[in-house]
Amino acid sequence: MRLPDRVTGLFLVGLGAAAAYGGWQLPPVPGQPVGPNVFPLVIGTGLALCGLAIAFGIGRSFEEEEHLIPVEGGQPTPPTGKLYGLRALLPPALLLLYVAIAERLGFILTAAMIVYVTSTALGARWKVALPLALLAPIGIHLIFSKLLRVPLPPGVLPMPW
Amino acid sequence: MLNTLTQAFALITTWEVIVAMLAASVYGLVIGSLPGLSATMATALLVPVTFYLSPIAAIATIVAASTMAIFAGDIPGALLRIPGTPASAAYADEAYAMTRKGEAELALGAGVWFSAVGGIAGTLSLMILAPPLAEIALSFSTFEYFWLAFLGLMCATLVARSSPVKAIASMFIGLLVACIGIENPGGVPRFTFGMTNLFGGIEPIPALVGVFAVAQVMRAMLTPEPPPIPRRRFGSILAGQWKLTKKYNWQMTRGNVIGIIIGVLPGAGADMAAWVSYAMSKRFSKEPEKFGTGHVEGLVEAGASNNASIASGWVPSLLFGIPGDTIAAIAIGVLYMKGLNPGPTLFTEKASSMYAIYLMFIIANIIMIPLGIIMIRLASHVLRAPRSTVMPVIMLCCAVGSFAIGNNIFGVVIVATFGVIGYVMEENGYPVAAMVLGIVMGTMIEQSFVTSLIKSDGSVLPFFERPIAAILAAMAIGALIWPVLVWVWRKLKRAPVPAASAR
Repeated sequence: MRLPDRVTGLFLVGLGAAAAYGGWQLPPVPGQPVGPNVFPLVIGTGLALCGLAIAFGIGRSFEEEEHLIPVEGGQPTPPTGKLYGLRALLPPALLLLYVAIAERLGFILTAAMIVYVTSTALGARWKVALPLALLAPIGIHLIFSKLLRVPLPPGVLPMPW
Repeated sequence: MLNTLTQAFALITTWEVIVAMLAASVYGLVIGSLPGLSATMATALLVPVTFYLSPIAAIATIVAASTMAIFAGDIPGALLRIPGTPASAAYADEAYAMTRKGEAELALGAGVWFSAVGGIAGTLSLMILAPPLAEIALSFSTFEYFWLAFLGLMCATLVARSSPVKAIASMFIGLLVACIGIENPGGVPRFTFGMTNLFGGIEPIPALVGVFAVAQVMRAMLTPEPPPIPRRRFGSILAGQWKLTKKYNWQMTRGNVIGIIIGVLPGAGADMAAWVSYAMSKRFSKEPEKFGTGHVEGLVEAGASNNASIASGWVPSLLFGIPGDTIAAIAIGVLYMKGLNPGPTLFTEKASSMYAIYLMFIIANIIMIPLGIIMIRLASHVLRAPRSTVMPVIMLCCAVGSFAIGNNIFGVVIVATFGVIGYVMEENGYPVAAMVLGIVMGTMIEQSFVTSLIKSDGSVLPFFERPIAAILAAMAIGALIWPVLVWVWRKLKRAPVPAASAR
């Protein structure tokens, strides 16, 4: 997901301009010189200026190269493909899935699914992933629902406690 | 004073606090020693649990977990050459070189011993610095608070290990996030896009969990698994540490002082302290050629430094609500939740709670020695846990924890969103710590800015009229101009030939 500085910089210009415009549109407090509109205006302008500077490569010389520590015996090269980078989006996608279905399906089933998918995506075989998907949700449910009294959705499979 | 101390003792000698502290210590040691799980993440995932504890027990868990995690990062650093937390990255090479020379005990022993020494030094700085600063801060008006917050934000961008322009941009993004909601001078919904869930604003804690935990799971999806730790038996861990303390007394002290200073600076935390101290140690060493070949000197200095910064990071947090580092940013969130709103009056009105915090820091650093030794001996078993079993559990904790903070499913959406934001920012060289600081301090800086403007009737002049405000303003503007000066100077230096020939 490494994007050129020009792209991120211009995105920030847009974001800053939108924020400044949005802030400017806010109604002022009657009889008061400054209201809720001042701060977004300042922030948005600043952000847009920074975005411009980044897009034109100012300050790039300050960036330090990351200190990569090579592992002994050679690093296993990660498989590269067009879709490989999209794997990174799996965790947030699973969380959004949780938001969408946890209420209906219940915590235990949704959590088991999240655990199984994450575990498999990180290279676990089903012999590891399956028991983990069974035990981890129950453990978390015990801690949060029983001990800390967080109202987790029971859904179709309520826990006996 | 003595009375307050006894009260503080009474506060921390309850079963709840003791159990919470021990459990959090073990948790911090395990999370800190697993590569890829940082101390900040450990603390962020603890927050939902602290919700259900008494105020002192809640702070105890954060103190214990963060202290332990920073030390525990040294363990895989020494045994695998993979730092457990970013704070150990500075000297992971050195520690691993020592292990290869057969001095693993000495390297790990130095880790635990000098971490404890540094942590206690940091706590002393907190005890000595905070009360007199609180006296001064009592007379601060919104002008001073505005400049202080501004200075804090500028510091965070100056010390970032990336381009200062990107750091400032990250900070602005954080401030923009803080704009969301109706908690603004006019009380109107701002940037809520008609979503009721956004009316209350973005809570800092779910945002932090997203940036530090979800983003880490996302990175794990694309990076290869670290190798398992080789099994080995250890000799005595603490043997020879006293000799080292006497031999490298000066280095240790310097590490403590650097750690304390960097901890107090907003936004700069343990990792920065370790890098600076390791570099200092090498620069001023009598035998710099030994660095990198398994020499313990740098370990002593940097190990003391990163733990010293943890405690001193609480100084600006407790006094002004300006986080000294990302862990302190989380601590501030918990302090607010528990009714211990940061501010100078905390030291007069809630003095016993403050003493309880000092005591907990000292206790945490002392019990770190035995617990740390146990952890080192068990390390080859704990570190065998593959990533594919740890990360799924962290995902569940993210989902449940962010829901638990407000019993609102929208918290999970925030966590997921900030996971993506944090991941993309980090990948493109935008430091997330600066954004976190912006989110945490946004409301405070806006309030002090707008209130000051209202008081001064829209004029900028009063911002510089009060003496302390003027000093703070000069420092803040200096911090703003500094990168520009360095940039110009570098440009001039790069083109010296025409300048020379012209003369």
